[in-house]
Amino acid sequence: MNALGAVFAREARLAWSGGGGAAGPAAFFLAAITLAPLAIGPAADLLSAVGPGIMGFAALLSVLQSADRLFGDDHGDGTAELYLLSGVSPAWLVLAKVMGQAAATLWPLPVIGCLGAMMYGVPVQPALIGALALLAAIPALSLIAGFAGALAAGIRRSGLLIALIATPMMVPVLIFAAGAGRTAFEGDERAVANLLFTLAVSLGTTALAPFGIAAAIRSRLG
Amino acid sequence: MQSATEIAPDMPALATETLRVSGLSLARGGIELVRDFSLELSPGDAVLMSGPNGTGKTTLLRALAGFIRPDAGEIRFGDLPPGEAAADYLGWLGHADGLKHNETPRSALRFWADLTGQSRKAILPLMRGMAVESLIDRPASRLSRGQQRRTALVRVALSNRPIWLLDEPAGPLDGGGRARLAALVAWHRARGGSVIAATHQLLDWPEAKRIDLGAHR
Repeated sequence: MNALGAVFAREARLAWSGGGGAAGPAAFFLAAITLAPLAIGPAADLLSAVGPGIMGFAALLSVLQSADRLFGDDHGDGTAELYLLSGVSPAWLVLAKVMGQAAATLWPLPVIGCLGAMMYGVPVQPALIGALALLAAIPALSLIAGFAGALAAGIRRSGLLIALIATPMMVPVLIFAAGAGRTAFEGDERAVANLLFTLAVSLGTTALAPFGIAAAIRSRLG
Repeated sequence: MQSATEIAPDMPALATETLRVSGLSLARGGIELVRDFSLELSPGDAVLMSGPNGTGKTTLLRALAGFIRPDAGEIRFGDLPPGEAAADYLGWLGHADGLKHNETPRSALRFWADLTGQSRKAILPLMRGMAVESLIDRPASRLSRGQQRRTALVRVALSNRPIWLLDEPAGPLDGGGRARLAALVAWHRARGGSVIAATHQLLDWPEAKRIDLGAHR
């Protein structure tokens, strides 16, 4: 097996066997979208209008929820040092790692996002577009969470630092991803543009974030 | 007592290299730990570094691995600095063992073999050499500290790199474990490899050079 495939497979396997796999983010996501209507109120018009936005917002929070473990564990158990000495390009290695973790733990988000939006009264087509936007947003969200997690690795109460670093960086992808669902619900043709923008942000993050994460890991070891 | 000849995994020959350190000075948090430290480590050599806590043994090993930039002095693997050469030449055993608590030694060692491009065939003979082959399917969280250390030493040997940097390799090991560590190191040196170990224990490695870092202040 090639080196990057090995990293991807190991991360997915570790996420399943130890972290409860997809259950953590999925449970967090479900809890958030179940609680939101209780706070907003039962007006059907209102709920269907805010549904796509709530889905994007809750998905973002559930990605952030496990960000401290992604690189914090590697820092604490000595894996980070071994990664840097492995001879594999660190940027490619962390990309494979984050994607392996995301594939194993975040796949329910678009599914729950789609079903959740329909339960809020959003019609099927906009709900599906919203779910597609969530899928397109996952690379950006998990890489930004990974970057913040790598910068805060080994720091006590790293959750605070991660929230402060990651939240502003997640603004564009949240606006476009939630915007895709919202404009689709309003019957606006800008939905597709929003979806493409989400994908563009994800691609840009995929190209840049791995270098930042690799540099952060190295600096945390110095 | 385990003899060196009992560890005989089928591995490609080591790409041996000489490590040269000259005039090295290291500081942490504004305190100078190592001053004007020089060392030449040729294939087959072993160095045992001792010294009281806080004299910079770990810091020195981390500088050799390229994690810390020295304040002065030069580190060269052949002609190359640590940043370019570490991944080709170094087998690293840090303070932590690099094991995941929910992963078995079998999965972990297969992963490290794949990642560093080594054959998985050497895993079992090396585990036998450290007497942990019966634990191969037990998650790391259920191994004792000594068993985890032995597994980490197998990972170092599996990397098939010529220069081993070991931080307290024998810390949690019992008498039998130290004998097997000595045999593993003897096997490595016989292949042309070299070892630098920071240790508080009295390790009885034949013809090992002893350095007291406390005397380098």
